[in-house]
Amino acid sequence: MKSDLSLTIGWLYPQLMSTYGDRGNVIVLQKRCEWRKIKAEIKVIDANSTNENLASCDLLMMGGAQDTQQEVVSSDLIKKKKILSELIEKGIPGLYICGGFQYLGQYYKTAGGNKLQQLGILDMFTENPGGKRLIGNIAIDASSLFGQKTILIGFENHGGRTILGKNIQPLGKVLKGFGSNDKTKEEGAIYKNSIGTYLHGPILSKNPELADYLITKALEIKYVKQIKLEELDDSLEKEARLTIVKRLSVAI
Amino acid sequence: MTIALTLFAKIFSFFSQLFNFGNGSTWPGHIALKLNPNIINGILNKSRTQTVVIIGTNGKTTTTKLLETILRFNGKKVIINSSGANLLNGIASSLLLNSSISGKLNTDFAIFELDENAFPQILEKIEPNYIVALNLFRDQLDRYGEINTIAKHWKSSIQKIKKSKLILNADDPQIAYLGKDTKLNTVYFGLNDKSLEKTVMQHASDSILCPNCEHALTFKAYYFSHLGIWECPNCKFKKEKNIFSTFSYYPLKGTYARYDILAAVLTAKKIGLNNTEIERGLQVFKPAFGRQEELEYNGKKIQLLLSKNPISLNESLSTAKELGAKTIILILNDKIPDGLDVSWIWDVDFEQTLTKDINIIVSGLRAYDMAVRLKYAGFFVHISENIENAIKLSLVSLEENEKLFILPNYSAMLETRKILTGKKIL
Repeated sequence: MKSDLSLTIGWLYPQLMSTYGDRGNVIVLQKRCEWRKIKAEIKVIDANSTNENLASCDLLMMGGAQDTQQEVVSSDLIKKKKILSELIEKGIPGLYICGGFQYLGQYYKTAGGNKLQQLGILDMFTENPGGKRLIGNIAIDASSLFGQKTILIGFENHGGRTILGKNIQPLGKVLKGFGSNDKTKEEGAIYKNSIGTYLHGPILSKNPELADYLITKALEIKYVKQIKLEELDDSLEKEARLTIVKRLSVAI
Repeated sequence: MTIALTLFAKIFSFFSQLFNFGNGSTWPGHIALKLNPNIINGILNKSRTQTVVIIGTNGKTTTTKLLETILRFNGKKVIINSSGANLLNGIASSLLLNSSISGKLNTDFAIFELDENAFPQILEKIEPNYIVALNLFRDQLDRYGEINTIAKHWKSSIQKIKKSKLILNADDPQIAYLGKDTKLNTVYFGLNDKSLEKTVMQHASDSILCPNCEHALTFKAYYFSHLGIWECPNCKFKKEKNIFSTFSYYPLKGTYARYDILAAVLTAKKIGLNNTEIERGLQVFKPAFGRQEELEYNGKKIQLLLSKNPISLNESLSTAKELGAKTIILILNDKIPDGLDVSWIWDVDFEQTLTKDINIIVSGLRAYDMAVRLKYAGFFVHISENIENAIKLSLVSLEENEKLFILPNYSAMLETRKILTGKKIL
């Protein structure tokens, strides 16, 4: 792999949207680039950033947050909606976790019945019926994304139930756990190269193949050519996965 | 009714310990509360005992032990609940087991550390004489929920009471907020020490929004996490100026423990003890189990630093380094008391606190998760999921007179103590 490749990773609202160790996703993306001599620059995107800052990113990551923090982010995100939407439509890959995922949909209905407009970029909506949060270790089958048998694992913890529309595919089928809602046995969403999910863990630390998928897509869009990443030694990541895979008794 | 219940509790606890049923300290209270929901207020209303309630994410057990030691040394009779028993059933058990058959408690003080959710419940039943609030950090989001919600719940519970005295941490905005516009007698503790100030915030930080108006807070300095010198540019709510911030003697190391010590000392002062009495009490202090506790095993010195969330692990790492650690075992379990989600280890600033000259061993049910985290932080580690093997392996590599540092989360700490002492709890 030549060392002249570089990526700008945009980390959306790291101070406000980073409740469940989601910054790990940024660390994993950065390190997996560096280990392959791909220059990775982390750019913080928040209320102090301009539209140009956002538009210069090759890969995006946004985590989840508490309700109050989410309201504050909402008021700024709406100003960046046009650019974010263009990036997503252009195929700029992104990972949107939990609250970050919900923002991309049409609306979020709170447990109290309030219907909050979201960015409306993706064909989906989220409703929080109140009561039981969906919490626990989860395994999903994301083979269709990777074109070969691939199980993703993580930890979910959410009150909102997300329902997908016709124009958008789930990230995977639930093997063990709840998923985006407790009915359809689907988890997350994939639209062009943007991935939305409720999986924490952080998801990329548990599933390095997904990290590599995002890096590959980002490089392919930026350099307009096919990219094959150098293999890394993922034996520790595999052992960490096995701990949960065994507990959930899913076959990998 | 109370007579029957106290008798029952004592008998139950006796058999429970005799046959080693496990948690003998909460079951009598659990059953008693079912039979008589007013058992806690019933006993306390009849007794001369003054109550101190201690809340906060980190440091409850240490603060309880500090205050208990100070009061006992000065001749007061004190009961406490044990740290694993910090729900209403644990409080009820502790009261039943220590009261006379007629359901009267004959001690000067009862100090209870309370779980985040149990605090509003206890205020429905009693008005404690003193409420000591330490801090609010993210911890076990799968169990306690998000900290803004907890803070709001605490505030509204405190607004309903009339006579408790509040002892609050001025450096934590969410805790300081409990004292805003209250008629209750309120005093503050906090730091005022230039040498401990940092200008950059650690990553694992919470409540950077103003608890009063939800505008972003500005910080002149941080002591650790979101504790520091803060102010809201919007509503002007800011850190209290008049705070209790130094004492003549600190029995524990670290910025983190400094807060616990100041909280215990300030409470003891409010209770009426003078500085000399308090300092003498602190001289005989021994750490609560697992909290900077020192043990000997096979002739080697071992120090345990309980590390159960990002803030406490960050602080344990700097304390271990301050104490000259060369070998550290990190133990990560994901049993119910630990929280099932281990994502939080990615919020720990290993990159800033650990150095390559430290020999690191990871262990516990989620040892590989910790190994992955440290790999991405740039550290090579030894792995042994089995805790006993990890300890034995580490002891072999110790230099002459070197102390081994073990940083376990909660259930891992209990397992480690069992291995080192042969007993589960003190």
